[in-house]
Amino acid sequence: MTAIAIPLPETQQESSGLGRIPGNKGIWVGICCEFVEFLVLFVVYFVARAHFPESFEQGAERLSRLSGTVITLLMVTSSFCIACSVATMRAGERRRSLYWLIAGLVVALGYPVAKYFEIQWNLAQGINGESGIFFTVYYYLTFNHLVHAVWGILGILWVLARHLAGGYTAEDYSGLEALASYWHATDIIWLIIFPLFYVLV
Amino acid sequence: MEHATQQPGTTLSPLVVAWLALVALTLLSLVLGQWFHGAAWLQVLVAAIVWIKGYLIARRFIESELAHPFIRNVLRGFIAFTPIALLLTAFYGHQFARWATL
Repeated sequence: MTAIAIPLPETQQESSGLGRIPGNKGIWVGICCEFVEFLVLFVVYFVARAHFPESFEQGAERLSRLSGTVITLLMVTSSFCIACSVATMRAGERRRSLYWLIAGLVVALGYPVAKYFEIQWNLAQGINGESGIFFTVYYYLTFNHLVHAVWGILGILWVLARHLAGGYTAEDYSGLEALASYWHATDIIWLIIFPLFYVLV
Repeated sequence: MEHATQQPGTTLSPLVVAWLALVALTLLSLVLGQWFHGAAWLQVLVAAIVWIKGYLIARRFIESELAHPFIRNVLRGFIAFTPIALLLTAFYGHQFARWATL
């Protein structure tokens, strides 16, 4: 019998100096789509803000800065935990990688909880989607981000199940890294949203 | 090319430093927003903070310097978009509004 060896395309890319693909190509197609979607929403934000600067200045002062800060710290911290999970998996420390991933999940779950309390606080202050152009844009952008974060949390759960089943090794952890890349991209988007609504104007 | 010889990181210390910097920048932007609300130069500073935070995530967490050039450029472009748009809106808001009127 003759064995046929099929070279891995990623290995070829790395050896040719083109750089590596964190995770896999599929997740980067998704991340690019996510970036394009939010770029469109950011353009909407800037057009609305250029037309109604007073509404944006007054609106930002009515939002809960505490909620925005808590969500930012939760996103940054969960992103950090998941980056640590990838790094420890690479080092062959499977159990530590698992613990970091669980920590990332627990912290990430704080985001929808904090959002729930923020919405309750908003409604108590009489802030809803019809409270003006600033709040319409705010709800549209932040809910959209929440939806993407929930997909990410579902992704963390799936990767966690695979990790528990021994699905990743120090040599093959592309699924874990793909999830991490998506979560970091979602984190970057929140870090942009945060000053647009809670700090800047 | 330098990135072709580098390996993805296995140590946590660069990640810890990046995380601490991200937390510090978040708190700093809040303090700046409270103290210097309305100052024109604040827009420049906050735009810089947004860019630095995005850069830190891309560079330290995603390890973009080791990534394929397409991924590197997508990240660079996305992270640069909002700070540039913030500055343009802050300093040329009226012109932009006129230009964006249907």
